[in-house]
Amino acid sequence: MGSKVNTKKKDAISIFKRKSIGNRISPINNILINLFFILCSIVCIAPILLIIAISFTDEKELLVNGYSFFPQKYSLKAYDYVITAGDTIWRAYGVSILVTLLGTVLSLMVICLYAYPLSRQSFKYKNFFSFFAYFTMIFGGGLVPWYMVYTQLIPIKNTIWVMIIPYLMNAWYMMIMRTFFKTTIHESIIESAKIDGAGEFRTFFVIVLPLCRAGLATIGLFCTLGYWNDWWLPLMFVTEYKLYNIQYLMYQTLNSIQYLVSGSAQFSESSKILAELPSESARMAIAVLSIGPIIFAYPFFQKYFVKGLTIGAVKG
Amino acid sequence: MLKTKRICSLLLILVTALTLILAGCSSPPTSGQGSGSGTGTTATPTVAADSGKTKSEEPAVKLTWYLVGNRQEPDTPKVLEEVNKYLKDKLNVTLDLYVFGWGDEYDQKVNTALAAGEPLDIVFTANWAANYNVNAASGYFTELNGYLAKYPKIKEILGEDFLNGSAINGKNYALPTNKEKVHNWGWLLKKDLVEKYKMDTSNIKTIEAIEPLLKIIKENEPEITPLCIATMDAPFQLLDWDRISDDDVPGALYPDNRDYTIINHFLAPESIEHYKLMRDWMNKGYIHPDAATMQNQVELMKSGKYFAASQSLKPGKDDEMTASTGIEWVQVDVTRPVMSNRETTGALLAIPAASKNPEKAFLFIEMLYTDKYLKNLLNYGIENVHYKKLSDNVIELIDPANSGYNPGHGWKFGDQFKDYLMSNEDPQKWDKFLAYNDEGLVLNSLGFVFDKTNVETQVSSCKNVVQAYYKQLFTGSVEIEPTVEQFAKELKAAGVDELIAEMQRQYDEWRKSK
Repeated sequence: MGSKVNTKKKDAISIFKRKSIGNRISPINNILINLFFILCSIVCIAPILLIIAISFTDEKELLVNGYSFFPQKYSLKAYDYVITAGDTIWRAYGVSILVTLLGTVLSLMVICLYAYPLSRQSFKYKNFFSFFAYFTMIFGGGLVPWYMVYTQLIPIKNTIWVMIIPYLMNAWYMMIMRTFFKTTIHESIIESAKIDGAGEFRTFFVIVLPLCRAGLATIGLFCTLGYWNDWWLPLMFVTEYKLYNIQYLMYQTLNSIQYLVSGSAQFSESSKILAELPSESARMAIAVLSIGPIIFAYPFFQKYFVKGLTIGAVKG
Repeated sequence: MLKTKRICSLLLILVTALTLILAGCSSPPTSGQGSGSGTGTTATPTVAADSGKTKSEEPAVKLTWYLVGNRQEPDTPKVLEEVNKYLKDKLNVTLDLYVFGWGDEYDQKVNTALAAGEPLDIVFTANWAANYNVNAASGYFTELNGYLAKYPKIKEILGEDFLNGSAINGKNYALPTNKEKVHNWGWLLKKDLVEKYKMDTSNIKTIEAIEPLLKIIKENEPEITPLCIATMDAPFQLLDWDRISDDDVPGALYPDNRDYTIINHFLAPESIEHYKLMRDWMNKGYIHPDAATMQNQVELMKSGKYFAASQSLKPGKDDEMTASTGIEWVQVDVTRPVMSNRETTGALLAIPAASKNPEKAFLFIEMLYTDKYLKNLLNYGIENVHYKKLSDNVIELIDPANSGYNPGHGWKFGDQFKDYLMSNEDPQKWDKFLAYNDEGLVLNSLGFVFDKTNVETQVSSCKNVVQAYYKQLFTGSVEIEPTVEQFAKELKAAGVDELIAEMQRQYDEWRKSK
């Protein structure tokens, strides 16, 4: 089996080499393409740098001179405010990390366990179960019934689980995973495992999953980002302050300020309240802290990511 | 092979079971309400105000209360513990207080909970939060007339007029805070500059009257912009149109009760005159050239680079803003105080229809109007932990910047006149409030609620047009005549005439039924 893969790889490389000589891009094109992508990168990175710069800018300077990449007066006051503002932010950080780790692992497991049987030719009801998942992509139950499921049918409101369970299964990821299993795992591999005496579970955990690392990493990254960036579930289900996650804290502050400045708050205290909410730089400091850990997830997943993205393309 | 299979499936089952068990376990300690109150606490639906006899045997009733605010204060559990200790003997209830952020967050939380029939007991509502009119009309709130008749104390404190202002078709669905019952508009001026140039503010009774002051600033203070305008926080508000709907929906009455005709106030002669005045001021450099793109008036005021700002006023507003912006202000009242829907439905407490203990909830709300200790406990926290008493009615916060409990709840519930005063506030504040309330003119539209359902499209398209034009006009950033012409044309196309006609029809009907 190993040698088969190897020859395939060699073939691919030699084809690639041959082609690249014939299709080498001209120097001008090369520069243009590079320039284009440099610009794209700048457009993506600049706002983040600006946020970081703002978070380090002196508050007064911000009000007088506005935003700048190179503030005249630096200040750590925003971080000081954030860090001394009690354990709120650290606790929220903890909740976010716990939910993301636990959520990603459980979610991957559930998705794979659903996707794998559907990828197998020999599974009798695969059409029914495919449709079953597909159906949920088109039709939803509506907000209130959905809400009632997690508050009354499964009473997990105000627990850590309510931020995990609703996103455990995702039909779209499941389909990507199914396709990945189908295209990567040839029926003959499973057959050979069976001949060697492996049961279904062993085949799945020992043979199939390790071969699908790229797919797992891709879906894993999606799940990680989904869990990390989520503020919708806490908004719906969490009323207990201790269970707020970092994104929700940020949402709460930004949303409050946006609402109060919009002028739709018809009460005479609104300007007073507005004046007491966290300052611009403090808000940016929270934003910077909230992108912190997730940035480390990228390099971890990256080596699989590109490969994973080509899922679905026809392979030899 | 069979063996591995069995082990694997066993493992899987274990994991699933564990998940469920964990989910179940972690629920009781944290379950504040919803699921929790469905089980234990409701076992005895005590229907009684006679808390005297059997209270010790009965388990306390739990009241869940949703309130809008900046955030849940970190010391809330400590304060609630005190509250519950106090309430145990009085009503035999325990209180669970949740505070959610302004705007979307609060609306989302309350509206879903109401729609899902969660047994909340008290919710904050207003014309701007958890839409009082819509939720009351949908039957989510308990009608309170019966309780008001049975326990008349709240009615005595609030007065019939004010209470009826929030009634819908003669039925009360919520109880307004007893606070300022009128509003007026005016200026906040930067105190140091007023003193430096010895300005006389006593004669400023119109918008134009402030021009000489702006001129002084413009000529002598190159660093300072005379007038601070951002979005809807503009001098336009000083015209004080009695708006029928939202800020950005055309349709208003004159604020002096002169007639019963609803007009498009954005294009009224007075407004156009005002736009021209703003244009003039812009040309003279009294307004920041970028004013039309400014977002946040308060942030601008904090920068100390502005001299005057239009604000909704009440007695002591300048002290309040001085304390919260760190810059000293003096207030100049311009418009006459009026009592409008803005005040009567500005801060209310309602009892959701799904509440299991509406009577207890009502009695608790009544305590917020009558019990000074309870009101201040919820508002300022625990004495000597969160605040110090300086005299009988004056307090000082301990370490206000890092206080564990400083929610600023005073105006949100109960009787605000029972609140302690801060040391930096006018000791006469509440007396001035009372006098201010009496001064107010009761507007003809008080109690009228516009129902948008018939003209939903017109409302939203008119809103879009107004959003596209108002900033330029309010700040005088464009030539007025051609812009107003264009504005009028687009509003017409958006169906402003039908909208005003519908407002007028509903208003006439409502007046007849009154």
